[in-house]
Amino acid sequence: MPARNTAVRYGFVAQGLHWVIAGLLIVQVTLGKIADDLPLGLDKLALTARHKSVGITILALAAIRLAWRLIDRPPAPPPMPRWQFVASRLTHAAFYVLLFAMPLSGWLMSSASNYPVSWFGLVQLPDFVRPDEGLEHLLEEVHETLAKVLITLAILHVAAALKHQFIDRDGLLTRMLPWRVR
Amino acid sequence: MARALIARILAAGLACCGAGAAFAADWQGDERSGSLQFTAIQAGARFTSAFERFTVRFDFDESSPAGGRLDVTVQTRSVDTADVDRDEILRSRDFFWCEQYPEAVFHAGKFERDGAGWRANGKLALRGTTRQVSVRFELTPGPMHLVMKGTADLRRLEFGIGQGEWSSTEWIGDEVGVLFDLKLLPAAVSTSP
Repeated sequence: MPARNTAVRYGFVAQGLHWVIAGLLIVQVTLGKIADDLPLGLDKLALTARHKSVGITILALAAIRLAWRLIDRPPAPPPMPRWQFVASRLTHAAFYVLLFAMPLSGWLMSSASNYPVSWFGLVQLPDFVRPDEGLEHLLEEVHETLAKVLITLAILHVAAALKHQFIDRDGLLTRMLPWRVR
Repeated sequence: MARALIARILAAGLACCGAGAAFAADWQGDERSGSLQFTAIQAGARFTSAFERFTVRFDFDESSPAGGRLDVTVQTRSVDTADVDRDEILRSRDFFWCEQYPEAVFHAGKFERDGAGWRANGKLALRGTTRQVSVRFELTPGPMHLVMKGTADLRRLEFGIGQGEWSSTEWIGDEVGVLFDLKLLPAAVSTSP
């Protein structure tokens, strides 16, 4: 598989970024949900710290992914009704926004709650806002709402990809897989 | 009594006018005088918090630093980390145990030169444990006040700050830094309690 996208398939850079980020998002949502439900204790502290480290990792990967997307244009989608094409473009654009907005809102929320972010205990990230309870609650709302939007879009995205692949049989999913499905 | 008071006022007056020169006076301050903060490492990230209630008494004669005293009393319940859940945990038995030990008290009876500043070797009583603690500080006399700025390094576990699972240093570091920046006023002429 070539590094760059071809006319009919994503290359391994785009595919790698897609699947690594997808995997990390599943880890992320799970960690966030478990940590959020725990009472404040060492477990919550540890899980939240991991959640933040994974989030910052996703932020870095999102930046690489956006840059790559601008350099390497995606393969054309198979023919489909116009509304589906528009819906997919909007969903993909929303994913890019969320890949930045989620970690950034989490980072700001950490600073506002005076729990600064350390990336896996190796580097401490700067605080762009001062501790502020009101701001923290606002950012928490934003972060949780964005998470719900992300989960909803992810379900739509997966459902649409599977529908194209297995009902329309237009080979759409194959473009993002290292192997053939037929 | 009256003579002692006059002597104090005179001493404070001398201290006020003697900016730059050797000074000797009895100073005091509290949370209105400035900040008393601490920093700790949590999950690899350093954060800063403060105590909102404390008093400072500083009796200092530059010409005889082996005498005098520095007394700092901190209301442990006044800890403010900007997160109510964390504040509650810090007030609990696992950390400051405020119910049992509402105050943390530092006392030093002598001072020594430390570079451009000073060092107070004293004792800190915190959560039922008393330990030797060295406080480094710098003094900057003002026209009517004395700026006292300094730091101290503590190890929280020496004082039992963090019981049970919290005694692990994997997620919360043992080292705690103390920082203060205070504008002290003459004890005799100040109207503060």
